[in-house]
Amino acid sequence: MQIRPILAAMRHHKAGTVLIALQIALTLAIVCNALFIIQQRITRMSRPSGVSESNLFVIRSDWADKSDTQRIDAQMQADLIALRQLGSVQDAASTNSFPLRGTGWDNYIKLQPDQPRMTTDSAIFFSDDHTLATLGTRLIEGRNFTASEVAAQKPRDAMHAAQVIISKDLARRLFPQGSALGKTIYVSMGQAPSTVIGVTDTLQAHMTGSWAGPYAYNAVLIPARLLNDYTYYLVRAKPGQLEAAMRDAPKALFAQSRMRIIDHKDGVMSFAQVRQRAYERDVGMAILMGIISVVLLAITAAGIVGLTSFWVGQRRKQIGVRRALGATRGDILSYFLTENLLIGIGGVLAGAVLAIGINLWMVTQFEMARLSLAYVVAGVAALLVLGQGAVLAPALRASRVSPVEATRSV
Amino acid sequence: MLKMTHLSKVYRTEVVETYALRDFNIDVKEGEFVAVTGPSGSGKTTFLTIAGLLETFTGGEYHLDGIEVSNLNDNARSKIRNEKIGFIFQAFNLIPDLNVFDNIEVPLRYRGMKAAERKQRIMESLERVGLASRAKHYPAELSGGQQQRVAIARALAGSPRLLLADEPTGNLDTQMARGVLELLEEIHRDGATIVMVTHDPELAARAQRNVHIIDGQVVELSEDPRFHSVHAVADGAHG
Amino acid sequence: MFAYYLQLGLRSLRRNPMLTALMVMAVGFGVAASMITWSVFRAVSGDPIPGKSSQLYTVLVDNRGPQYNDNGEPPEALTYTDATALVAAHKAAHQTLFFNVAPSVLPEGNQSLPFIADGYATNADFFNMFEVPFEYGGAWRAGDDDGRAAVAVISHELNQQLFNGANSVGREITMDRHSYRIVGVTAHWDPKPRFYDLFSHNAFGDPVQLYLPFTRAIDVAMDTSGRNNCGSNTDFGVGREAWLHGECVWVPVWVELPDPAAATGYREFLTHYAAEQQRAGRFHWAPNVRLRGVNDWLDYERVVPPESRISLMVALGFFAICMVNTIGLLLAKFMRRAAEIGVRRALGAPRREIYRQFLIEAAAVGLAGGVLGLLLTALGMFGVGLLFEPEIARLAHLDLSLVATTLLVAIAATVLAAFYPTWRAAQVQPAWQLKSN
Repeated sequence: MQIRPILAAMRHHKAGTVLIALQIALTLAIVCNALFIIQQRITRMSRPSGVSESNLFVIRSDWADKSDTQRIDAQMQADLIALRQLGSVQDAASTNSFPLRGTGWDNYIKLQPDQPRMTTDSAIFFSDDHTLATLGTRLIEGRNFTASEVAAQKPRDAMHAAQVIISKDLARRLFPQGSALGKTIYVSMGQAPSTVIGVTDTLQAHMTGSWAGPYAYNAVLIPARLLNDYTYYLVRAKPGQLEAAMRDAPKALFAQSRMRIIDHKDGVMSFAQVRQRAYERDVGMAILMGIISVVLLAITAAGIVGLTSFWVGQRRKQIGVRRALGATRGDILSYFLTENLLIGIGGVLAGAVLAIGINLWMVTQFEMARLSLAYVVAGVAALLVLGQGAVLAPALRASRVSPVEATRSV
Repeated sequence: MLKMTHLSKVYRTEVVETYALRDFNIDVKEGEFVAVTGPSGSGKTTFLTIAGLLETFTGGEYHLDGIEVSNLNDNARSKIRNEKIGFIFQAFNLIPDLNVFDNIEVPLRYRGMKAAERKQRIMESLERVGLASRAKHYPAELSGGQQQRVAIARALAGSPRLLLADEPTGNLDTQMARGVLELLEEIHRDGATIVMVTHDPELAARAQRNVHIIDGQVVELSEDPRFHSVHAVADGAHG
Repeated sequence: MFAYYLQLGLRSLRRNPMLTALMVMAVGFGVAASMITWSVFRAVSGDPIPGKSSQLYTVLVDNRGPQYNDNGEPPEALTYTDATALVAAHKAAHQTLFFNVAPSVLPEGNQSLPFIADGYATNADFFNMFEVPFEYGGAWRAGDDDGRAAVAVISHELNQQLFNGANSVGREITMDRHSYRIVGVTAHWDPKPRFYDLFSHNAFGDPVQLYLPFTRAIDVAMDTSGRNNCGSNTDFGVGREAWLHGECVWVPVWVELPDPAAATGYREFLTHYAAEQQRAGRFHWAPNVRLRGVNDWLDYERVVPPESRISLMVALGFFAICMVNTIGLLLAKFMRRAAEIGVRRALGAPRREIYRQFLIEAAAVGLAGGVLGLLLTALGMFGVGLLFEPEIARLAHLDLSLVATTLLVAIAATVLAAFYPTWRAAQVQPAWQLKSN
């Protein structure tokens, strides 16, 4: 197939050529970036929490009477005993926060008490000797807290945690060379050092926002019960008994004391719900970008079909003449396919530049990564295939034009 | 009515200049029925498109109904076409989307006529071509001869002073062609000026006057002896 | 002539239903995507207090110094010490301070369970500064702030829940076991974004249910349920008193300054206040203060979620592609009728009539696309819940102005897209013969 006559013919319908090329270019630019956004969001969502999520749920209990901290402390210990005694429950622990909660308590972590800037930032999880078992998080170094190490902590008092357990990522961040075990770190505002007695396997922080990127896997477990206006109970149900446990646990708590508030809507949440809430935006964004990409590709394909059909209709006589002069059906078919390919190549070249441009601009505007070239290449291939597919039906129709058309005047 | 003096029409491309009309002179009087003949490519269709203000010309002068048209803008030319000229095309050129009534209405619409007057004129002209019962039909539902009569009705509805016809019977069989020709003659008797391009000598013979074009120039004018008497009769009929 | 052309247009659209459907769908999808994302964007980026946003400022004082502050910027709220001192100074026309509270509320009667209600501990100025509308009663008086009175204002919604919507002014409400006398019930009030409460990330949170005097809340040791930011180097000692008078920031302060001169004056006062703290030895650095207006503050805190911005831009890009598509299809559709145009021109149609005819036909496509877009927008509104958290999703709603905008945008965009194809149509020469290629 000769390209020169096709180019010459394209000059006769410049507008249509430019419109199709433009549409392909814009579609490529947007679909590349949309797919990239989807991929980034999915990557974020599929990060491990470090928690064994099935059979785990959380209860938030607000103290209705805001009684003094001693009574809260007693109540929390009684609550935990009641929860652990339930037939459907395997283990339970109290905490102020947990992975993927969204909001919580994070502290600057330092290696020296008088250091002006933080070394890093970390989530603070108040824990006890049951916390790791309840979360289902493995200890990879050192030991767990003992029951006697767990103290009471008033919310406005400085923390004095002599022993802490930290997450693997935090340990690596603080002590890139060698083990963190036995080292001292400063986790509170105060000047008191804390000794690292254990290192957990991967454990995600409460914050999921993109700003928290570098700190997303930093967690410090403090052996204390936080005597706040409310507390969370992490509860691990026995395998297969999650529903029963989620029903039983609030009842058991109310049996302990009615002076508490457990929100009927989100007071009791399975960890699956916690995860869903944490990544709601990401799921939504991925779905929106997916819908837009699909509709966009469909509209572009439809546009190519529409315009090519018009050209075929306009050139029926010319096609008839070619056929009369000996062109085979294959010749006509490949004429239109080649024409579309040439326009498509023009479009994707412009589109690739535009896609990268848009991405570079987004990088400056939002916390976004650089577009991988693989996406552009995949997008280019996809659009060229789409264009050939879209042009196939009208091109086949053109190839079926009878040589008799040459003799018709209209 | 229609007077061209030293008119020329040149088509320019990058390499050549082609004269479609060269030093072209013609004078059609009010009420004449003129047949324009000539071989293929002689310029007769170019003459008709320029006469009908469908195209501009390169040099010379063209007076239509006393107006020099070369300096008119597109809007003014559209207005003259709409009000003074009726067209009858070889290919009928009815708009396939519109039924007979709506097709005839097109030029009247552009004239800004009131609905009642439009309707009256459309029905009158349909009566005249004998197709009043087909007002709601679409062109595709009519025979070639009927379509051409609709096209004539459309040309007549606006009561044009000048009727331009391009091979009006070219797409019709002999019997239909005769009917169309009789209709044209009737219109002429009612006072309209008609210029008809044709390559059919028999058809040309029915006109009062024949103009022959070769290579873009008028080469022969034959005066029809009946002209004055017919015209007098027509005048008498109207008077 | 308009009706005639509309009729012609509709007839022509009926002739190639596939092509018409393609165009209508392109316009419909394009406009719907834009409208859905725009309605969310409009909601999250709007001016929450249009009449007054130029007169309200939040006050920020750097109590951490160049070594510990946030790249030169003071923290996003004030310490208890600075907040109370600045409000007591009365240097602005109005000034308010607050912190978030979440007391347990105990309804009357033995059967009811207590519940948590969000509120603000604030002062009397809060209500007129932020234009809080009242259903019954009104704000407490400045004297109640000084007198540390046990009074409260509750929201319309809480009033419904506790008193079935009756006028509850003068009745009592029990919060955290203390009793308060109700002095006012607000009408439904929910400015979005909630510009004054950005420190605790409540830009799009549920509206609060109750208000009580700041001074009273301090007296009963009510703790903040909002954010508490202690920065990096503050050893705030032991117990509530030490924390209260320490260097943790948790109290947003707002002032009302009617004109730029007042703002300049207040800025000077603020600098003077910081200099005073430096002289007293509390700050070891030159005064570093900010006075940020409502819109400045919304920008600084990046209230508009990036998701909303990205979606809007992607949707607009999508719309642009739909319009390019429509240009192409209209071009095909119009040029397919070149013969008809030629005849019309020959029959005396001036160019402007051709323009009129085809633009009206395009407008009909636009209208149809707009109606489809409206349906898709309504459908999409349900879907927005997927995309954003419920508190943002519910901001998007189909109101009359959005309906009008959708139709208008669809028609305007289509007519705009039709300009080039129509121009091409109008260029068709008056035709003598049906030309065929």
